[in-house]
Amino acid sequence: MTDPVSFPDAVQWAVPFFIAAILAEFLWIVIKGRGGRYETRDALTSLIMGAGNIASGLLLGFIAYAFFMWLWQITPLNLGTSIPVILLCFVLDDLRYYWVHRFGHRIRWVWASHVNHHSSQHYNLTTALRQTWTYTFTFMMVVRAPLILLGFHPAMVLFVGGLNLIYQFWIHTEAIGKMPRWFEAVMNTPSHHRAHHGRNARYLDCNYAGVFIIWDKMFGTFVPEQEDDRVDYGLVHNIGTFNPLRVAFHEWVGIWRDATQPGLSLRQRLAYCFAPPGYSHDGSRDNSEQIKAKHLDRHPEDRGTPGFEQFDVKSPDAPAEQA
Amino acid sequence: MPLEILLVLVVGGIAGIAVLLHLTGKSRLQVLTPDTASEQWLRHFPDDIVVDVTVAHDGHAALVRTDTGAGLIWSFGADTVARHLRDFDWLHHPKGLEVQFHDFGTPHVIVNLDETERSHWQHLMEPA
Repeated sequence: MTDPVSFPDAVQWAVPFFIAAILAEFLWIVIKGRGGRYETRDALTSLIMGAGNIASGLLLGFIAYAFFMWLWQITPLNLGTSIPVILLCFVLDDLRYYWVHRFGHRIRWVWASHVNHHSSQHYNLTTALRQTWTYTFTFMMVVRAPLILLGFHPAMVLFVGGLNLIYQFWIHTEAIGKMPRWFEAVMNTPSHHRAHHGRNARYLDCNYAGVFIIWDKMFGTFVPEQEDDRVDYGLVHNIGTFNPLRVAFHEWVGIWRDATQPGLSLRQRLAYCFAPPGYSHDGSRDNSEQIKAKHLDRHPEDRGTPGFEQFDVKSPDAPAEQA
Repeated sequence: MPLEILLVLVVGGIAGIAVLLHLTGKSRLQVLTPDTASEQWLRHFPDDIVVDVTVAHDGHAALVRTDTGAGLIWSFGADTVARHLRDFDWLHHPKGLEVQFHDFGTPHVIVNLDETERSHWQHLMEPA
């Protein structure tokens, strides 16, 4: 029996809009002389990564879809496809996105896929399209399982996921400053997402939201963009290649080299695969907490400010620690 | 969307944007001075203390001596990339030197140097 439920592939239909918006942003920057930067090879790499992402979806998407359809067959629930159900699915899928994105920054296996999105030192609409080719290998499709088991049809879940990605396209820009206060309070915006792309110590591991910034506020990962700490885009250790193949696979190669070096325990090998990025068995690398701590050693005045709240502000009356 | 139309849009869009950016001068490499090279080094490695900087004659690379050892910073499009010179090899190259980093994400960089610079840089890149 064929399944009658079908939804359009929203991302594919948005391609003409993506191209038009990139041209509009570039013209805006040229005319106004502000609002962002473009560089030929950086943009070309981002666009090729975007095309590769669509291609990998066409080639490997069947794996996730087969998994979802299997879940759909075993679940006794079916919420239908009414407008309120689609809206509810959109909101819950955005919560799903928040956690997948957070895992993407805190689990190196998932970071290996997501890292390429952060590998540009630029932040413009082409950066939005610098997407992964290897998402299938992270197995993060399992995070969508609860939605399908709750009775949301797989086609609908994928459709709202596509809308989520389209929403996130326009926030990859420096051409828009701050939005109205009510909008900034609820929605993910260019300002919030600029902070997410920062390699500054303050902005590491913050603002994972897709559409609604409320998830970051609920789960304690929200850091507002600071006027006195301009966002420096890119990776803590920026890569030195525009080659899309190297961009797509460099962290996977890094995991392989780290986890297979001789003399490690099984626990250390697993940590190189699944611990937060920056783990090393010999302490030769820094993770984000260590980078923040080192920043505060250099800039103690930042202690307790946004992005550094987890480091207590010591009262001048506090007793000195014993050596 | 039919696959043929998607393909035309993607290929045409990418090519068109790349040509537009190149023709409007967005392919220029960053030019380093001793000050900007030092500033950029500290952007990449904020814990370091820069001792001195030697900039290549074309301004597209600089050798940086720091309290933690020597490093190389070079123009990467409009930006820069920097690496400490710890796990690396160098080779003679018709344009100067090729530095190989044994890193899949940053495999190598070619530094344009004239003959005088080349021998000076080789000396500076030797481990202390």
